[in-house]
Amino acid sequence: MGTVHARSLEPLPMAGPDFGALGEETELVEVEPETKQEILENKDVMRKSHEARERLLRLGIFRQVDVLIDTCQGDDALPNGLDVTFEVTELRRLTGSYNTMVGNNEGSMVLGLKFPNLFGRAEKVTFQFSYGTKETSYGLSFFKPRPGNFERNFSVNVYKVTGQFPWSSLRETDRGVSTEFNFPVWKTNHTLKWEGVWRELGCLARTASFSVREESGHSLKSSLSHAMVIDSRNSSILPKRGALLKINQELAGYTGGDVSFLKEDFEFQLNKQLLWDSVISTSVWGGMLVPIGDKPSSIADRFYLGGPTSVRGFSMYSIGPQSEGDYLGGEAYWAGGVHLYTPLPFRPGRGGFGDLFRTHFFLNAGNLCNLNYGDGPRAHLQRLAECIRWSYGAGIVLRLGNIARLELNYCFPMGVQAGDRICDGVQFGAGIRFL
Amino acid sequence: MCNLPIRVICRANAEYMSPSGKVPFIHVGNQVVSELGPIVQFVKAKGHSLSDGLDEVQKAEMKAYMELVNNMLLTAELYLQWCDDVTVEEITHPRYGSPYPWPLNRILSYQKQWEVRRKMKAIGWAGKTLEQVLEDVDQCCQALSQRLGTQPYFFNKQPTELDALVFGHLFTILTTQLITDELSEKVKNYSNLTAFCRRIEQQYFEGHDKDSCTVSVQSSKKSSLLK
Repeated sequence: MGTVHARSLEPLPMAGPDFGALGEETELVEVEPETKQEILENKDVMRKSHEARERLLRLGIFRQVDVLIDTCQGDDALPNGLDVTFEVTELRRLTGSYNTMVGNNEGSMVLGLKFPNLFGRAEKVTFQFSYGTKETSYGLSFFKPRPGNFERNFSVNVYKVTGQFPWSSLRETDRGVSTEFNFPVWKTNHTLKWEGVWRELGCLARTASFSVREESGHSLKSSLSHAMVIDSRNSSILPKRGALLKINQELAGYTGGDVSFLKEDFEFQLNKQLLWDSVISTSVWGGMLVPIGDKPSSIADRFYLGGPTSVRGFSMYSIGPQSEGDYLGGEAYWAGGVHLYTPLPFRPGRGGFGDLFRTHFFLNAGNLCNLNYGDGPRAHLQRLAECIRWSYGAGIVLRLGNIARLELNYCFPMGVQAGDRICDGVQFGAGIRFL
Repeated sequence: MCNLPIRVICRANAEYMSPSGKVPFIHVGNQVVSELGPIVQFVKAKGHSLSDGLDEVQKAEMKAYMELVNNMLLTAELYLQWCDDVTVEEITHPRYGSPYPWPLNRILSYQKQWEVRRKMKAIGWAGKTLEQVLEDVDQCCQALSQRLGTQPYFFNKQPTELDALVFGHLFTILTTQLITDELSEKVKNYSNLTAFCRRIEQQYFEGHDKDSCTVSVQSSKKSSLLK
């Protein structure tokens, strides 16, 4: 247990939307009316000590932070001075977790270890190991924030992950190292990352098409990427207002490796609250992959479209170029959605459980194709504009904490092209990032 | 040899493309068939076969000789490439890792080396010295030479799968550049085998100049890829 005394208050800068939990206004603590009342009800002090408490909690090294505010006692007390005391309980030096997971015809055992505060300045080291019946994967990561400025941080990760993609009959094993710097610039958050990955691709089944079979083998990707995020929403799941803009670019090949491309993608979302607690939200996604040199792009770098988290009404990643039922992904895509979120009809469970649900009506559209880069931008835009896939429908959304959401929708896919796989009718989706 | 139209393509990831992990493999229409045995079966099912004219006894004999070649010559080639330290360092590692950038070239060739050495240990060849291996090759060539005698092909006038297999291995041994020429010397000791190789090369591969270059490159790649 440690105590941190703060004698005088320095002005604390405001930070991003992860403040104030679910975006509700911070509540001011009620104080019993006493002679100290005038001083203690200084709202400025309350607000700033609450902010300081939030920032201490965000470091992830304290289990509990309590704030005590009292008038100054003692010899060197100022007449209007206040003593602000933060009483903190630290987390244990090493925490561990052990889970078993079952899903997708595979069972696995997951072991996690974490040092929340390794050298005393909120450095975090986490290790996760997953041993399954089919695949094993592991990850080791070191995270260090700049002391006093949590927004600036860097992390180093070493990992091995395996993924199975039945829509392309592809199995991918990635072993890699990455380092990443995060820093804020004015209102935006930037991330610079270098990543070196040894990728091994293989076929998931003997019936994989030859185009996928041709991509099997090993390759090394070494890439630099930069991402910029501006987020003024009040929450990342089911926001009521605000906008999000994320722009990401990745350049591979100039720092080694045998895969060479320039990849751009962006994500934009705008939310506005309407009458009666309903919210209208529009979002646009897009991206482009330009291979550099004469090697064609690899199936592991291309974009995929479709599914309950992007264009609803279509099967998972089942839009676009395909060969014998295996979807190969595309080098350019765009997708857009308009959603109207309303509370459940008749508002059951209002004020409690019912607030986690929302009904939603949506219209999604998108297109994915390969570009022939000799043609010129006009031809590209034309290709992306023809044969648009779109869908509309309605459903129920359940919010899970502040991270994920579940959806159950009834969809009507339209504009279906030959080769796309649709999922009309009821579709269930779970995830973090939805169109 | 069956006069079927083929196109030979060299790919760095051919080993991984193959469904069983071994080359050579053929891609016909929608099907992919790998390794000599299944390829022969596949072609036979489509109505082409080189060994139709043989009776049961001869077919059994042919199978026995093919097994001998596989067990002896193939294993000796693998031993020489992956278990002989000098050859490994100077020839095999650079050749196997050439399509990949650093550090992947080292990682993959070491991975392959461990795999081959483990296999050698399993079949008992790990303890053999280079001289013993060369002795075995010599004995194998002697058996083949005796069977061939003065005939043009192993089974009289028509080539069979055995001829194709023996040609593949011997041609590769004769034309691949290694540190020493001991292995190819062993084969050259038997003049009827070298004449046999030359005859097949002239008849089937030198008809098209480009093809013979492709095939000789393919054959030398085969020796590093053939498992």
